[in-house]
Amino acid sequence: MSVTRRDFLAAGLVGVGAGVIVPPILAKGVFAAGIDGIHNNRVLVVVQLAGGNDGLNTVVPYADPAYAASRPTVGVRPESVLHLDAQVGLNPALPKLKSLYEAGQMAIVQGVGYDKPTYSHFENLYVWEYADPQRRQRDGWLGTLLGKQLDSQGHPLAGCALGEATTPPELRAGNATVSVIQSAKGYTVQGGPGRQATAPLLYSRTPGIYGALFDQALGTAESGMKVLADGAASYKPAAQYAATGVAPAANTLGSALQLTAQLIATEPSVKICHVVLGGFDTHQQESTRQTTLLAELDTAISAFMQDIAAHGQADRVVLMTWSEFGRRIKENGSAGTDHGAAAPLFIVGKPVKGGLYGEQPSLTSTVDSGNLKFTVDFRSVYQTLIRDWLQGDAGAVLGASYPELPMFTSQSPVFNPA
Amino acid sequence: MKLPQIRLSRRQALSVAAGGALGGAAVYFGIEELGGSTAAAINTASGWRSPLNERRALAAHLLRRAGFAYSPADLDAAAALSYNDLVDKVVSEQAQPLTAPADVTNHTSLAQAWYTHMATTQAQFPERMSLFWHGVLTSDYREAGRFPFVYQQNLLYRSAGLKDLRTLLASVTRDPLMMRYLTLDASTATAPNENYARELMELFTLGPGNYTEDDVRESARALSGLRIVLYDANGSRITAPKYSASDKQRYTDQINQLVKAGASYRGTLVSRLHDTGTKKLLGHSGNLGADDVIDILLAQPACAPFLTRRAMTFFASPAPSDADVNTVATQFRDSRYDLRTLMRAIFRSSAFTAPSNYRSLMRSPTDYMVATMRVLGRPSLVTTAARAALGMDQVLYDPPNVAGWPSNAGWVSSSSLLSRINFATAATTKLTGAPDAGAAVATQLDNVLSPGTTAALTAAHTESDRWFALLASPEFQLK
Repeated sequence: MSVTRRDFLAAGLVGVGAGVIVPPILAKGVFAAGIDGIHNNRVLVVVQLAGGNDGLNTVVPYADPAYAASRPTVGVRPESVLHLDAQVGLNPALPKLKSLYEAGQMAIVQGVGYDKPTYSHFENLYVWEYADPQRRQRDGWLGTLLGKQLDSQGHPLAGCALGEATTPPELRAGNATVSVIQSAKGYTVQGGPGRQATAPLLYSRTPGIYGALFDQALGTAESGMKVLADGAASYKPAAQYAATGVAPAANTLGSALQLTAQLIATEPSVKICHVVLGGFDTHQQESTRQTTLLAELDTAISAFMQDIAAHGQADRVVLMTWSEFGRRIKENGSAGTDHGAAAPLFIVGKPVKGGLYGEQPSLTSTVDSGNLKFTVDFRSVYQTLIRDWLQGDAGAVLGASYPELPMFTSQSPVFNPA
Repeated sequence: MKLPQIRLSRRQALSVAAGGALGGAAVYFGIEELGGSTAAAINTASGWRSPLNERRALAAHLLRRAGFAYSPADLDAAAALSYNDLVDKVVSEQAQPLTAPADVTNHTSLAQAWYTHMATTQAQFPERMSLFWHGVLTSDYREAGRFPFVYQQNLLYRSAGLKDLRTLLASVTRDPLMMRYLTLDASTATAPNENYARELMELFTLGPGNYTEDDVRESARALSGLRIVLYDANGSRITAPKYSASDKQRYTDQINQLVKAGASYRGTLVSRLHDTGTKKLLGHSGNLGADDVIDILLAQPACAPFLTRRAMTFFASPAPSDADVNTVATQFRDSRYDLRTLMRAIFRSSAFTAPSNYRSLMRSPTDYMVATMRVLGRPSLVTTAARAALGMDQVLYDPPNVAGWPSNAGWVSSSSLLSRINFATAATTKLTGAPDAGAAVATQLDNVLSPGTTAALTAAHTESDRWFALLASPEFQLK
């Protein structure tokens, strides 16, 4: 059974009572505006590095004496850095990303952050997820994009969170439909036709403040199950998503990105995908922890790029990474680093004009006693991706305009269906 | 259709976010109008026909929220009491001891032991409280390594979770799992680690906006120098068994023997690692230490409302009003932060008992699975539950981040809903000895059903089918 926008509308309108207090977020899908927005075949994949990835140990300013001085224990040794230029280089755990950089398919934006930063995980998550340093917005930036410009195409798989079991706040919005698929294998109603027939019966016209949300969740699940079943027959992974063994272990970034590749290759309605890799809050024993995580990131992203290229999708997919903050310049006494501010991020894909963007922040002229001062507002990155990549209306999402980063050439092919 | 919206204040929205939703999920409300043929069934502000003006239904409402689930006999006994007497009875329940897992250093066995305890104990309320604290003062099992730290934290929230907040915070500041999780055990005078100091203020006592970055740095200094040490049952410091990679079993046996004889690891102050200088915190200054920090935070006007809101969001209403929070918070603070007083005030508040509050909360995955085991009388489902927890995104002692678990709408997604439905299938396979499903519709769902659930129950042919429809229904996901 495929659930359309119309079905959601019908379900929502019947299911709610008089004077009912309905958080619109719960009734998402009910009030679809039907605004015509983006009509091309471009895809954005967002990789969240949760916990606050240490930017200074990811893109290392190895030539700056202040770097080694601030990090006698956790600093990356200059001789092991993968040089990008005479100033900065990648962490040695990122050799495959280095190759993508050399192939001109990876943009590194340095010094990304915002003015007057906070140092709390949750406040920063809010800032980045809602694209609002004032933390007043109520819809996630990708949710807003979906609801206002993409979701109007009416497919529940336009926005997907993959390898996760709950909806990431970035994708939440009053009128955005999101499919959350933890694993393809578990995304099914078990127990045979009887159970499969009962589930949609239970989740139809459900009243109460959770009613529309419940009904929509089951509706998107029903659509997604069909797409996955159809896709499984035609998609075979064409890359190694894990360092060892053929298949990535369950619940890893590799398995999530492989599922992302399958959906992109088999379902043209998929537009925004979100995956997450956690564990970056390295207050302690940073070197081992971050190296392991960066190696996983390196393998998974490069496999994903290889896989979508093998499936003929490379021209229409761009991937970005982000993390809620970078870390303090000076290491702490626990062989780790505390919460910090600005950090670099990666934008990867064949359509990207590779290279270094933005300025590396100074390690000596700092903010809030020893934190990096941002040189690129994170909303510049969002605007570049919305406007120059997805060809959408960035102002409608961000509420203001920010300088763009020239990483998409006008020659990037756009497919506009008739 | 454009709808009017009631905005929550910034303060409320932040508290909701800090409470774990973190998304826009519960941040604002709108109002919708009635439509269609379901009007007769839906006539309260909760969207469901609310039975909460009936004594029996109100008792069931309390038992679902203060505990997990109940048998028909439990409900009969509860409904025989006046509501206030029932609240007093529930709130005064004393925790029953957890049956220790065979290996106290194994987090998976501990999680199963806790599921079993939640599914079988006669004192459900203290377990519900432990689950609440596990979400607020949360920690990750990975930090335990080869130590019995998850087990110890589980015991701590059961023993201190219903005392007073000061005792609880003083204990959790010295709890090994917490110390490792928020790296307090690595903080020294020369390099104070801010991790615990920050979350103590942001997530455990005050909430954002009620302290400065300087306060974080200063309290980190005051909290420096705590280290994890092993004590025997009499409180004497003892030498920990030596770990040897080549003889893990011997080490594990020794730890288990010690812990089961009453030994425990605790944080203790190592003076040479502690910053003895003057610290300035929220208007106080002096050679402050860990307990001084806690006392200063408890004296802040933001503390009682902040924790009251977290508790009310968990137990009473997805977005309690400022007025309701303040009424309860005043009683909480006036009782010197007595946690049973807090809970009694919440359960007696109109924010809890109002008819419009019917089914306003979503059962968390743990709650849903434990309730299922209890209503079916199948505690043997714990191994299935431990596996299913991953698909619902609530593996015990593996929270998504330091803010703990999502809540309410944050639990709903296409993926997690399928996992709940599939758990209901597993729970009703080879069903024997379960109570009558038809009677359970009255006992467990108050006979308040959506048209869809009514249709599914009508179409069911067997007891297994009927129980599946009941357990997989939206009604049973709510409380």
